[in-house]
Amino acid sequence: MSGAEIARQDRIRELARQALTEGKVDYFIGWKAGHVPSEVIPAFVRNVDECDMLLWNPLCHHNLTTFLKRKMPDPPDARIGVCVKGCDSRTLVALLQETLVDKERLYVVGVPCDGIIDRRRLEKAFSDEVIDIAFQGEQVVVTTRGGETKELAYEELLLEQCASCDFPNPRYYDDLAGELLPQPEGPPRFPGLEEYEALSAEEKDRVLADAFATCIRCFACIHVCPVCYCWDQCVNRSRRPALVGQKVAAKENLMFQMVHMFHVAGRCPSCGACDRSCPVEIPLYLLHRKMNKELFEMLGFQAGLNVEDKPVFQTFNIDDALGEQ
Amino acid sequence: MKFLARDQLPTLLADLSTAAEVWVPVKQQNGVVQFDRWAPDVDVELDVFLARQSPKENVFPQTETYLEYRYLMVCSAQRPEFTDQTREELRQLVESEGGEVVAEVPPVAQELLLVADVGGGSQGEPGLGSAAGMDDSAQIILGLRPCDARGLSQMDNVFGGYGGFYFDPYYNVRRNNTTIIAVTCRTPRSTCFCRALGGSPAGTEGVDVLMTEIEGGFAVEAVTPKGESLVERSVFEKAQPEVEESAVAAKQAAEAGVNVPFELDGVREGLKAGFDSPVWHDLAMRCISCGTCTYVCPSCYCFNINDEIVEGTGERFRCWDNCFNPMYTLETSGHNPRESKHARFRNRFSHKFWYYPDKYDSLLCSGCGRCIMYCPTHVDIREVLRTMSAETTAEKGEA
Ligand code: SF4
Ligand code: SF4
Ligand code: SF4
Ligand code: SF4
Repeated sequence: MSGAEIARQDRIRELARQALTEGKVDYFIGWKAGHVPSEVIPAFVRNVDECDMLLWNPLCHHNLTTFLKRKMPDPPDARIGVCVKGCDSRTLVALLQETLVDKERLYVVGVPCDGIIDRRRLEKAFSDEVIDIAFQGEQVVVTTRGGETKELAYEELLLEQCASCDFPNPRYYDDLAGELLPQPEGPPRFPGLEEYEALSAEEKDRVLADAFATCIRCFACIHVCPVCYCWDQCVNRSRRPALVGQKVAAKENLMFQMVHMFHVAGRCPSCGACDRSCPVEIPLYLLHRKMNKELFEMLGFQAGLNVEDKPVFQTFNIDDALGEQ
Repeated sequence: MKFLARDQLPTLLADLSTAAEVWVPVKQQNGVVQFDRWAPDVDVELDVFLARQSPKENVFPQTETYLEYRYLMVCSAQRPEFTDQTREELRQLVESEGGEVVAEVPPVAQELLLVADVGGGSQGEPGLGSAAGMDDSAQIILGLRPCDARGLSQMDNVFGGYGGFYFDPYYNVRRNNTTIIAVTCRTPRSTCFCRALGGSPAGTEGVDVLMTEIEGGFAVEAVTPKGESLVERSVFEKAQPEVEESAVAAKQAAEAGVNVPFELDGVREGLKAGFDSPVWHDLAMRCISCGTCTYVCPSCYCFNINDEIVEGTGERFRCWDNCFNPMYTLETSGHNPRESKHARFRNRFSHKFWYYPDKYDSLLCSGCGRCIMYCPTHVDIREVLRTMSAETTAEKGEA
């Protein structure tokens, strides 16, 4: 781990300790080690003496702002401290734009982020269970349960979205853990779509149909999404009205994902939480990132950048270029 | 005991598939391993340790149609002439599609409702609850782990009428036509805890044949009469004494690789004593209430029943359901006794280690650890059970 990362981790712990000591928050949400050192999980810290378990490293992939949405805070009016990376901060901004979380009950620690690694890709390089992932400078040292050890290059393990991240710095925070990183130049990037975009309409249909045929309708993608907040009222599960078929079959699954995509359009910054949560690894980014690319190209809109902005589907500008007409 | 040479595995599979559909773990294009139909060009994946899902869908499909029907509704008060016409239409339908009229509801308010059942079971003969016409061809599942097989036998209690409760015709047709060839675990994961539940990486509950990987092939043991007749095939060789020895050693090595992360004794009592404990709120904090854990679980069996009608053609089907689903306990009044996240969360563990054992005298968990692996936040059932066990201890301590 680089010196900067250790400094960020120290600062997260220090800010959490302060917030809890001062009684600013009831609990503080960060990341901690899971059941094996290679797994990082969300941490809910209520006591000052637990702050040292908070972690910061390239495994901290969870977007913790999902724990701010309706029905998550426990008690419902809890005052919460939360850590956000660049992309996480954008889902928070999206929630703030719609006044769905109360700023007054929130304490936000922004964490400038060098990029998260793609655990799935990493795990596929081994047939044995990966139980430890350590960061040594530019190297990632991976150890399996059977004792095999491999060194891999950090750069090559980055999540696709992180390798071309437009906003490594949080867009919204009360305090920062560490120095801001240089802001990348140039227009926003939407990686990983080239292959899909090059396909004909029929081929695209087939790619999506094949991908969603394996969906098990577990709802991880919906529930993990910070800006997908209808919970028990979600139309995808509603029987009355029964608008979305409940069968677990390719057509119905695709329909249900289309609903998700359209419902989060304007709030979704392609944080990738849905992709990472899918137990059968469906490439959900094909829908969400593509939608975001379209929104940018048609309307110049990017989700979750400034609290004062209006979400795209809540505005109408006479100059909006809606296709050819 | 028999021996199967490694290079004879395809021969065995080809042989088996002449009389049955054969299912094996297969690495999909995206690298995810799932159970799939075997064919001569399909490789059996035994190195990646557990398939994402157990083959529970082979006996309990995620979506299963019970019946199909026509549903015609006429407004008899305003258009009385249509009533007879609709009856006639329905009669013709019944004739042509071979169904039966199961309900003809008199015009309570202003509508006359006619329902014709045009198919029972999974396609075929009419009639509710009839398994006639179901696809009852034999299937053989090879390459599942002992905990997957044990999950099936736990589901058998629920669907098989244990204790005089419900008997499910559809499930049992499939289950009886299924032969289970499990493979002893070679490299258990840190998340495996079968041994804590009285199981083993070489366990045989729910298994017809157990194969254990050894040098050059597999040691093969028949567990049930079904298994006995299966291993009669000539591709299985008579096992030399070393085969038995190697199998014992392989099983011991596997056992040694499985942790025992909690004591089963006291779990049920702890869950009872701690039902109202505030500790559930802490345990549920990082749960996002999705339900993934239940769909990757080899023994979760809850389902719901849906009616979907499009333009007068309806289908009644069942679908897997789970205790995190808002509709799961939603009452007609609109009240939901499990409104909050922690209450839904609590049910999963209480059902598996308290309610179900009370009713069926066994556990509803085989320790495969998939819920830990595939939970988006790695909610850890071992940690939950340990914590809840301590609830009794704590109470005893206080008393
Ligand atoms: S849809 Fe997916 S990528 Fe978009 S905000 Fe939700 S979790 Fe993030
Ligand atoms: S997480 Fe994956 S499997 Fe689950 S509902 Fe979403 S797309 Fe389907
Ligand atoms: S829990 Fe036991 S039986 Fe299941 S995979 Fe692990 S070692 Fe094998
Ligand atoms: S325990 Fe995990 S998988 Fe299960 S509902 Fe909660 S978050 Fe989803």
